[in-house]
Amino acid sequence: MKLKPEQETVTNGEVDNKEGEEEEEDALETSSGSDYEEDDADLSEDDDTLTESGSEESEFSENEQEIAATSDDDYSTDGADHGQHDHGRTDNGRRQQKQDRGADHSQSEQNESDEDNQGVEESDSSEDEVAPLNTVGEVPLEWYKDEEHIGYDITGKKIKKKERKDKLDSFLASVDDSRNWRKIHDEYNDEEVVLTEHETKLIRKLLKGQAPHANFDPYAPYVDWFDFEDSKHPLSSAPEPKRRFLSSKWEHKKVVQYVRAIRKGLIKFDKPKEEPRVYHLWGDDSSSKEKSGHGLAYIPAPKPKLPGHEESYNPSLEYIPTQEEINSYQLMFEEDRPKFIPKRFTSLRSVPAYEKAVSESFERCLDLYLCPRARKKRINIDPESLKPKLPSRKNLKPYPTTCYLEYRGHKGAVLSISTEDSGEWIASGSSDGTVRVWEVETGRCLRIWELDEAVQHVAWNPSPDLPILAVSTGQDVFILNTGFGNEEDQKRVKELLHVEKNPEPDDSSNATSIVGWAQDDKHGGVRLKHFKTVSSVEWHRRGDYFSTVMPSGESRAILIHQLSKKVSQIIPFKLRGLPVSSTFHPTRSVFFVSTKKNVRVYDLLKQKLVKKLETGLREVSSIAVHPGGDNVIVGSREGKMCWFDMDLSSKPYRILKCHPKDITSVVFHRSYPLFASCSDDCTAYVFHGMVYSDLNQNPLIVPLEILRGHASSNGRGVMDCKFHPRQPWLFTAGADSVIRLFCH
Amino acid sequence: MPKHYRPPGKKKEGNAARYITRSQAVKHLQVTLPVFRRLCILKGIFPREPKKKVKGNHHTYYHTKDILFLKHEPLLEKFRDIRAYDKKVKKALSKKNRDLAERLLTRKPDYTLDMLIRERYPSFIDALRDLDDCLTMIHLFAALPAVEREKIQVKRIHNCRRLSHEWQAYISRTHKLRKTFISVKGIYYQVEVEGQKVTWLTPHALQQVVPEGVDYNIMLTFLEFYETLLAFVNFKLYHSINVKYPPILDPRLEALAADLYALARFIDANSKVPALEPPSVNSSGSEQDKAHQKESKLDESELRLAQLQHQLPSNEPGALMHLIENASGEEEDDEETRECKALFKNTKFFLSREVPRESLLFVIPAFGGVVSWEGEGAPFNESDQTITHQIVDRPTQGRRFLSREYVQPQWVYDSINARIILPVEEYLVGRVPPPHLSPFVDNEAVGYVPAYAETIQRLQAAARKEVLPMPGLGKEDLDDPQNLLAEGIISRTEAIEAAQKKQKMSILEKQYHEELKMELKGVQYSAGSNANKQNSAEDTEAVEESLPEAAVQQVAEDVASMAKVLMPRRKRKLYEAMKIGESRKRSQVDLLKERKKKIEANKSG
Repeated sequence: MKLKPEQETVTNGEVDNKEGEEEEEDALETSSGSDYEEDDADLSEDDDTLTESGSEESEFSENEQEIAATSDDDYSTDGADHGQHDHGRTDNGRRQQKQDRGADHSQSEQNESDEDNQGVEESDSSEDEVAPLNTVGEVPLEWYKDEEHIGYDITGKKIKKKERKDKLDSFLASVDDSRNWRKIHDEYNDEEVVLTEHETKLIRKLLKGQAPHANFDPYAPYVDWFDFEDSKHPLSSAPEPKRRFLSSKWEHKKVVQYVRAIRKGLIKFDKPKEEPRVYHLWGDDSSSKEKSGHGLAYIPAPKPKLPGHEESYNPSLEYIPTQEEINSYQLMFEEDRPKFIPKRFTSLRSVPAYEKAVSESFERCLDLYLCPRARKKRINIDPESLKPKLPSRKNLKPYPTTCYLEYRGHKGAVLSISTEDSGEWIASGSSDGTVRVWEVETGRCLRIWELDEAVQHVAWNPSPDLPILAVSTGQDVFILNTGFGNEEDQKRVKELLHVEKNPEPDDSSNATSIVGWAQDDKHGGVRLKHFKTVSSVEWHRRGDYFSTVMPSGESRAILIHQLSKKVSQIIPFKLRGLPVSSTFHPTRSVFFVSTKKNVRVYDLLKQKLVKKLETGLREVSSIAVHPGGDNVIVGSREGKMCWFDMDLSSKPYRILKCHPKDITSVVFHRSYPLFASCSDDCTAYVFHGMVYSDLNQNPLIVPLEILRGHASSNGRGVMDCKFHPRQPWLFTAGADSVIRLFCH
Repeated sequence: MPKHYRPPGKKKEGNAARYITRSQAVKHLQVTLPVFRRLCILKGIFPREPKKKVKGNHHTYYHTKDILFLKHEPLLEKFRDIRAYDKKVKKALSKKNRDLAERLLTRKPDYTLDMLIRERYPSFIDALRDLDDCLTMIHLFAALPAVEREKIQVKRIHNCRRLSHEWQAYISRTHKLRKTFISVKGIYYQVEVEGQKVTWLTPHALQQVVPEGVDYNIMLTFLEFYETLLAFVNFKLYHSINVKYPPILDPRLEALAADLYALARFIDANSKVPALEPPSVNSSGSEQDKAHQKESKLDESELRLAQLQHQLPSNEPGALMHLIENASGEEEDDEETRECKALFKNTKFFLSREVPRESLLFVIPAFGGVVSWEGEGAPFNESDQTITHQIVDRPTQGRRFLSREYVQPQWVYDSINARIILPVEEYLVGRVPPPHLSPFVDNEAVGYVPAYAETIQRLQAAARKEVLPMPGLGKEDLDDPQNLLAEGIISRTEAIEAAQKKQKMSILEKQYHEELKMELKGVQYSAGSNANKQNSAEDTEAVEESLPEAAVQQVAEDVASMAKVLMPRRKRKLYEAMKIGESRKRSQVDLLKERKKKIEANKSG
């Protein structure tokens, strides 16, 4: 069998070499086709040769001629098959011969089968041969139940019922008879019928639900009943197309496609094997550190919060909020509202399913894939450890701690105070327009000057032998003679203040036209008339020069006056921004001017800007220079204080945020390492500020004490503070019209 | 020129180059948003928080490297293939080509997540570290109903159930369970596996609500990953105790929904066989055979016999089995595991119908107990005389055996958390049990110790044979405040007070002694007193204490605010924030204390 297709391919190749690569498939196809047909043929051979004839007989009349014709007709399918099967030749001539032979063969077969048929017919069509005796027709046999006869024969005579056999007899008869199982009682004719073997076969087939005739082929090839040959007018005059004789090209292509797909493994007939889905994923190299592929740090998601006592199904009673508390949750903002309200169940069986289980899990999922993650350092330390370690305050004594004396007498807020060089007296200026001088130790008021306007600033002359006061009030600055000191001093003072009269005509000269120097007999001093409100007066260390600041004076805001010559002059520098205050350097001829944002340092001799200190503050309110001269503190309206180390940088060395309100004044002690700030929040801070001569060592700043005691009035607290020149004592001037002395 | 002008040809720099928004990323990867989401979930990619958000505040930003990482993921290509394939099937179906559609559907391209797990968790410890969410999710889905409309398939629910049981069986077998907590949300368990603490939540075994406003696609994507992860973790864990994975369960027990018990039996049978018997004996399949063998081999060693006995389905896994366990697994366990294993050593439990069976079947064997339940397939039934505790949760218990205690389930959980067998009086049937406290809270750190926690502490100390003083009677201990602190039962404030009192006493004493000494030396009294004054002046604390209370407070405040003055701004802000947090915590504790006081007042009044 296997060899045949090979042969065929060879012959094919010989016949026409056109066919290319499809050859093989072709061969395969034809071989498979022939295989099938061969099987078929075998079958038909094995069976009785009746098959075809039987079927034909049922359809055609028993005419030999016609049979021959049909067999000829059949040739196209049948004959070709036989030919292929028999010899596998494709040669056309031979085929023709063979066809003829095949036709003969089939004809002879037909004859044989006809003969056979007759033999069979006797049993098959018994009804036709032997006419039924009974002629009653299709009537219910019940009608004849009680009659003697069962019907009538063809002549009209009654047919008598046969006598019933005895049961015993019939049984005995049946025992003896081997064909008894085939016997059937025919009620219609009232006779015993013995079934033939053929009939039993038929019955069996019927019982199986098959076609009763043994030789009936339900899948016989369809034969058109219409006979084209004989008809005068054919339905179609077209000759039989060639495709009818050939196998389908498209089917062939499809088959080729499938064959190829199978070869390539695209179509698989076995189901894919189920592989085990879990295996040893983390092998033995669990210790190996594999980096995440893309080099970015993986930030693990934070673990869900562990439940506390309140989440228990049966928490302690104190964890359950009262009804009022639950009601109050409704008033809260949605974000602040507690997500979980503890509830208590007295037994486990009464706990219901948690209705938010899925939604909470979902939210967790969302958090996991939608929340931006960032690594945050959580500091788990004691907050107290954040505080800087400071030396003990005990070791930094003495410093002012407690209020020792109060100086009462002013009617309005005390805006400014000043200590005399020896420390025996202090002067104070108040918003009620008075300037008072007090004895420090007793608190006795020694002198009072009554001026017209509120006294903005008072300043003692720093030189010990000139007991005079500079007082700024409104647009005027007064130089007042206090009348202290011995006679010699008095004489000198009077002389100094007296000579003032003479330069008055100088006013007309253009040099000092800004300020008018005038003798003031009422208060016993000199009056300097300015063109704008003067906010502060500062003495030079020698006591000859003093500076005044007029914040709204624009280019002529800061003036320097010389008392001995009664001369005033504008500082030769350009200011940028509103001036707030000014001071002289304690040892050198350097002048500090603070504007709102920064502090400018000028050299008066060289007449140029030395440094600009950038405070970074919003509004500077006061400035003080360390007696060493290299450190400056600046107080601001926002409650911050900056310490500048001028050798270090122009940026603050340290910013101290101590007061919640405006700082009104900052001040250094002349000899002790102390400085203080006072503010509108009614407090004054005292600091230890040690400056070392070693340049490598930064200044040490330690807050020492908060001094309280003043009352607030009109939103103002402590207006000014000054240290005692020799003792570590602090004077504070309050807006509540009291001056306090804090001692150690 | 606009502010952020970048000249042409110049590359983006900084945050603009490092981060891209989500929509940019989606466009870059050429995928749809759901696929992007899926990829992010599976790959564990999360948005980042750039310092400067170039595109604005309302965008989600991803790191460019993360997106490139996604771009080179083979899964992305696979998803595209699957989509194309789905289109093929759809086309076939719409052309009524059913054969083709069916044939295509039999060979759908599939993908696995193994490599992703390997990539995300390079070592096993990493996987364990991230297991909390995984377990919670799988246990939740194991309790959910299958919902067609939400594409929650029965198959996956069953898979979740299986995985969760496997995990629990391992934990129970190796006694790794540490803490349990029944909350309103479900039951929390904490285990310690290879030094990693893993906590998860199991919902109560009741019909769960499936809410509407949840995107189940996202949850199912997570679940997909978690299922794979847990399967691999289980595989590794089972192999570490020499058990085959996946386990083959006794179908009878499985049908009775006693999976956990069946698993435990499987593990017991499988893990011991290779250790004790020659490997020729096939362990899992031939249980019944062995039962028959048993009769013939009565002269076998007792060890062997016990083991066979255990494998018999109808036999109880009794005391003999524990003998073996103790013999075999002692050396590798740490102390805590040993303690856990021995907690319910001599107790035998029986569960009534109404108690949460699955949870207790997991928990009790994890602490060395023997347990049975009411129903088919149980190892022993209710009439067993050796049962010591029956867990019931009903108002009254009708028929009682005198030999056993009838306790509520909370007793088991409380005992486990306390690591001692608590007295059963308060947990008996029909009583309201004492409050159930969370084992996850450090009471000392919070600053509020519930009353029952104190009781438990005392019981624990009693079990350790230590004698603790009763609170309130502790006055005589004042001279040893250190001891008090160590015990940690009396509140800290009390101890501090005592310490202060003691300090003052000692100062006075010292002063007195010094005076005596000076008198003896014959120093003038006035000078001595002066010296003393200086001494006391130096001791500012002493001075401050002598001041009135308001003043003391003022001083303290001053000191605090002065220290703040010198702090740099950042530190100061941090300090203030910490203080706020502290005060918030304190206010919560105060609220609790206040409520408690009220409750007590109501009780007495």
